Amino acid sequence: MRIAKHPILGEYEKGRKVKFYFDGKEMEGYEDEPIAAALRAAGVTTHRHTRRNGRPRGIFCAIGRCTDCVMVVDGEINVRTCITPLKEGMRVQTQYGLSAKEGTEE
Amino acid sequence: MKRYDLIVIGAGPAGLSAAIEGAKAGMRTALFDENEKPGGQLFKQIHKFFGSKEHKAKIRGINIGGELLKEAETAGVEVHLSSTVIGIYPEKCISVNRGDHIENYRAEAIIVATGAAERMIPFKGWDLPGVLGAGAAQTMMNLHGVMPGNKIVMMGTGNVGLVVSFQLLQAGCQVEALIDAAPRVGGYGVHAAKVARTGVPFYLSHTIVEAKGTDHVESVVIGQVDEKFRIIPGTEKEMEADTVCVAVGLNPMSQLVRMTGCEMKEVGGLVPACDEYGATSIPGIFAAGDVSGIEEASSAMIEGHITGLAAAKYAGWIEEDTFKTQVEERTASLEKLRQGMFAPQNKGKKIEKTDEGLPVSASLLERGYMDANEMETYPGVVKKEGVHPVIECSQNIPCDPCQEACPFGCIKVGERITDLPAVTEDSVCKNCGACVAACPGQAIFLVNEDEDGTYGTVTLPYEFLPLPQAGDRGKGLDRSGRPVCDAEVVKVQDTNAFDKTAVLTMRVPREYAMTARFFKKEV
Ligand SMILES: Cc1cc2nc3c(=O)[nH]c(=O)nc-3n(C[C@H](O)[C@H](O)[C@H](O)COP(=O)(O)OP(=O)(O)OC[C@H]3O[C@@H](n4cnc5c(N)ncnc54)[C@H](O)[C@@H]3O)c2cc1C
Ligand code: FES
Repeated sequence: MRIAKHPILGEYEKGRKVKFYFDGKEMEGYEDEPIAAALRAAGVTTHRHTRRNGRPRGIFCAIGRCTDCVMVVDGEINVRTCITPLKEGMRVQTQYGLSAKEGTEE
Repeated sequence: MKRYDLIVIGAGPAGLSAAIEGAKAGMRTALFDENEKPGGQLFKQIHKFFGSKEHKAKIRGINIGGELLKEAETAGVEVHLSSTVIGIYPEKCISVNRGDHIENYRAEAIIVATGAAERMIPFKGWDLPGVLGAGAAQTMMNLHGVMPGNKIVMMGTGNVGLVVSFQLLQAGCQVEALIDAAPRVGGYGVHAAKVARTGVPFYLSHTIVEAKGTDHVESVVIGQVDEKFRIIPGTEKEMEADTVCVAVGLNPMSQLVRMTGCEMKEVGGLVPACDEYGATSIPGIFAAGDVSGIEEASSAMIEGHITGLAAAKYAGWIEEDTFKTQVEERTASLEKLRQGMFAPQNKGKKIEKTDEGLPVSASLLERGYMDANEMETYPGVVKKEGVHPVIECSQNIPCDPCQEACPFGCIKVGERITDLPAVTEDSVCKNCGACVAACPGQAIFLVNEDEDGTYGTVTLPYEFLPLPQAGDRGKGLDRSGRPVCDAEVVKVQDTNAFDKTAVLTMRVPREYAMTARFFKKEV
């Protein structure tokens, strides 16, 4: 859910529209906004599942401190999506424990 | 190793102000911040600030941030972004992580202005997606233009919880409730009142029992607590919500400065023990802003200036005399902010009377809004013929833009900026709306209690979209947000001078002129 127009901030300055992939599904976001913002706008809130108990986690601090929002981005694990800028064609995957494959978290 | 005269860590209001002073004194100054953009908390704060003109009152935080940045650039501060300082050593060196490599720097003096981090209180389900810090919600909506959720429960009624709740409403989210385990609202009453009048209920002496949901928050269970903060069985209540925002306080980010081995003390978190100018026990290492004690942006800026001057003096860039005169002025300005009910020295105290000796509104503290029959206790609320300001300001907070806003001398704040504003007796209000837009607490209304024997008018601040238009019909809501009467918008002023606070006049049956405080359009 994007804020179309804000009573104080007006229209938001955004980069160009880009395509990216979330768990293989094509999605749209704006270039250089945090990956997490693009995902939240598209309705995705679970970023990873914990290693021990497989509990879902999502954005918590939004400033790169808590690591709750880490995902697999272009094959690299533990990328903090709340402070990593979105780029055209990025492959973003839910992280299970320390990998992008479900069922490997234990 | 690269050398500077002054290194400042953290580009929030404190760090920016400190760096400006250093650079102005002629020091080669470097400012490091971990973020991609400077400004610290300031760029998330879209509300008008309190204080006096000298504290940039009435200006929105985001615009103050812009001004500070320009000033820093002009002064010649070298700003290093995406640069996390990971080490600081007593010989005045720092290690900086610049993403792909680490660099070391040295300076004659170092100022640490790393700000604060949000606290967390665990409850069942607190780790579910949809539970997030209030600051995170603020970052999502104000920096990135994304709503953190649709239906939100806010935990915490300090200024952060109150301000962020209002911002969530501005972003188009629904705030289901404000919850606080304390029996009284912690932040400014005026911040609470502007949220309450839109219809958001306050649950004091309540806490969150559980956030429920499988892979996202679907509902929130709250419960009442006793005086020992234990949940009273049978008081649980479940409400539908997809998001919980947690605003239960801030902790000074003092880990970094602690690495220098400086003396620390415990005041609302572990902070470096500093002298009045921000000098720690290690010569040449200084601290300013929230890291040395949680306050607010206005005081962080002044502290930054003072500490910047102190560092310049320490390293021999300004003379004792210059230092003294400049610091004296800043200290006086800081003292003005540290007065009133919310002053640092009053933290945690239960205050029953204002400085004027008037009883503090219990309803405001327990429900978030003042009771209609308490109103006339305060000097800003008087009965008069014709249009006149009604100032629903009942707490001694450091703020006085209303006095200056009125070109006709209708409003007088006493000698100190914490005194309650009063409506002057013989003044004539011209209904211009300037005070309504200027009040950072959105607590001023222009009221005509009797226009023509049938109707009265109420002029109020309005910062939401869509902006109602003249001719729109709907309901007048009372201070608790309850619809109480029919209302018709008769005028909307939205000038540049009002800086995005629209001033809306509605016509209501005259018996509701002292009750209706918000407008809701019929849909
Ligand atoms: C929701 C909310 C509402 C508020 N409302 C008001 C208000 O109405 N009025 C008011 O006066 N105040 C308000 N405040 C308080 C005000 O924002 C803070 O008191 C003020 O920002 C403190 O300034 P600072 O410079 O000390 O810290 P900050 O603004 O927090 O800046 C510190 C900076 O240092 C950076 N940093 C930290 N560690 C490192 C490191 N190791 N390396 C590099 N950089 C680092 C941080 O990322 C940050 O950018 C509010 C705060 C919040 C959260
Ligand atoms: S949400 Fe905390 S690191 Fe991204």
